[in-house]
Amino acid sequence: MPSTQNPPIAGAAIDPPSLRPPIDDAAIERVESAQLRERLEALRRDGYAVLLDLGAVDYLRRTPRFDVVYHLLQLAPVRAGVADVGSPARKRVLCGIESSQHLPTVMDLWKSADWAEREVYDLFGIVFDGHSDLRRIQMPRDWEGHPLRKDYPMRGPERERAPRPAFANKSNVVAGTPPAGRTLEALQEQVKRARES
Amino acid sequence: MSVYAKPLSPEVVSQGDNTMVLSMGPQHPSTHGVLQIVLEIDGENVVKADPEIGYLHTGIEKTAEGLFWTQAQTVIERMDYLAPSSNALCYSLAVEKLLGITDRIPERAQIIRVMDMELTRIASHCVWLGTHGIDLGAISVFFYCFDLREHILDLQEANGGARMHPNYMRVGGCNGDLPDGYLARLDALIEKFPGRMRELRGLLQANPIFQDRTIDVGVLTPEEALQWSVTGPSLRASGVAYDVRKAYPYTGYDTYEFDVPSRTEGDAYARFLVRLDEMDQSIRIVQQARKRLDTPGPVMIDDPKVALPPKETIALSMEALIHHFKLISEGFRVPPGDVYQNVESPRGELGYYIVSDGENRPYRVRTRPPSLYNLQALKGIAPGNLIADLVVMIGSLDPVFGEVDR
Repeated sequence: MPSTQNPPIAGAAIDPPSLRPPIDDAAIERVESAQLRERLEALRRDGYAVLLDLGAVDYLRRTPRFDVVYHLLQLAPVRAGVADVGSPARKRVLCGIESSQHLPTVMDLWKSADWAEREVYDLFGIVFDGHSDLRRIQMPRDWEGHPLRKDYPMRGPERERAPRPAFANKSNVVAGTPPAGRTLEALQEQVKRARES
Repeated sequence: MSVYAKPLSPEVVSQGDNTMVLSMGPQHPSTHGVLQIVLEIDGENVVKADPEIGYLHTGIEKTAEGLFWTQAQTVIERMDYLAPSSNALCYSLAVEKLLGITDRIPERAQIIRVMDMELTRIASHCVWLGTHGIDLGAISVFFYCFDLREHILDLQEANGGARMHPNYMRVGGCNGDLPDGYLARLDALIEKFPGRMRELRGLLQANPIFQDRTIDVGVLTPEEALQWSVTGPSLRASGVAYDVRKAYPYTGYDTYEFDVPSRTEGDAYARFLVRLDEMDQSIRIVQQARKRLDTPGPVMIDDPKVALPPKETIALSMEALIHHFKLISEGFRVPPGDVYQNVESPRGELGYYIVSDGENRPYRVRTRPPSLYNLQALKGIAPGNLIADLVVMIGSLDPVFGEVDR
């Protein structure tokens, strides 16, 4: 069953976005982590008033390992009808970083980055410097590891499982064999007897 | 790991002179699922509200990485469980873009998709309206809403086989044509809809208690709304008529005539009116789609590498049998690349950022859940209001926790 296996880790294709030209209508930009903050501030001034989404991708075998992806929308914060809104420009900013590196927060530019950065921190372990409240958001507080990393096992880390509850250990059930009366032979026997009577 | 050990936001725990900290939820009936809000209150006034989410986190994005492209859709549909079709459509569109088959989706499949999207929007708004009414003490609205929703779920069950998660939209089209008698039942729904809407509006719209509770409550200015990345009806109630269906039309939405309702007040009552108007517009789109559905045609792309072959050909054609076996046992492969696809879900802009590494499973499926960002705005609008109004605000933002926590 596929769901119980770990997903295969990309071998040759380690950076899929670089392999083909963009296929959606967003303008795509790749920024070094040192210039990220500066570039995003400039975009914010250019009218990209909405940070639609902030996510991350783990390219395990690539250097730098992670891509943090910012989706921006150029929408003016004024009351506007459908015609005025039109089809606002979209921008996708990708920033590659290593797991040892930190990124600057953009919480002060877009408030919506608050939970998004917390989620990236929680699930990928990427730290955002300057975030006012960087703690886990989806996983429990005392969780260890970052589940969306590619080297995190699909079904979680090895751990001791709780013993089976007493009621599950029935004395009349032998492991591996179906209970009496449910085998094929028993059923056939039952059918035969029913026919005869 | 000192960062893990932080119990609560430092600001919340540091109480002021007269304030106390109160935990609302995660079992509170008005939190629509499993939302906990850590409140700092001064008497009845909220000083600070900090929503705690993650109680429903099921790791859907991680699970999807281990499933075939088609299998992943079944779990992805479970994110927004009130509007499963919007998730399925957005994911299908994204994968179709990666496969490069967007232009080859049959016309009839696109019409059915539009119809399904709008029906699911009505069904989702019905749940929102019913529960919003219950939060404010108007119990009877709930029953009227769920009756209307039941009619739509019956239709979903007819074409997909399941009430809640039909998994009807697939990569490449839809899974099978509409069953016999479907259109007659759709006609019955279209016919009874205006009467039902009159009843729903009659119950709440001019109700003085409802108006007292919602007017000027939870006001979102356009600046504030965009700062928090609020989309959908909540944004349009603040005056910014941004609708993905109009801004970046998909599956032929540009060929349908409909208006995008918007208001300027930005309060809970405006959000209520915008959603009700949206339901009227949705049925308008369904009516136009209904007219186009009279012409028969294929509903699945004619590409044996993506779509399962018709069942009747399997016994006759060796190629069909091979394709069927290959698609079931190892799925199809998607060329490497990344794509962001958005649709207008009942809650706002739903987006999928999907990365493929050329394998038969998605490398990464990042969701942009509208509910997550809409709910986050609660931090901005709750302070300074009464606890009773907080309940109104949560209801009017319409979060779905399957999607917030994923």
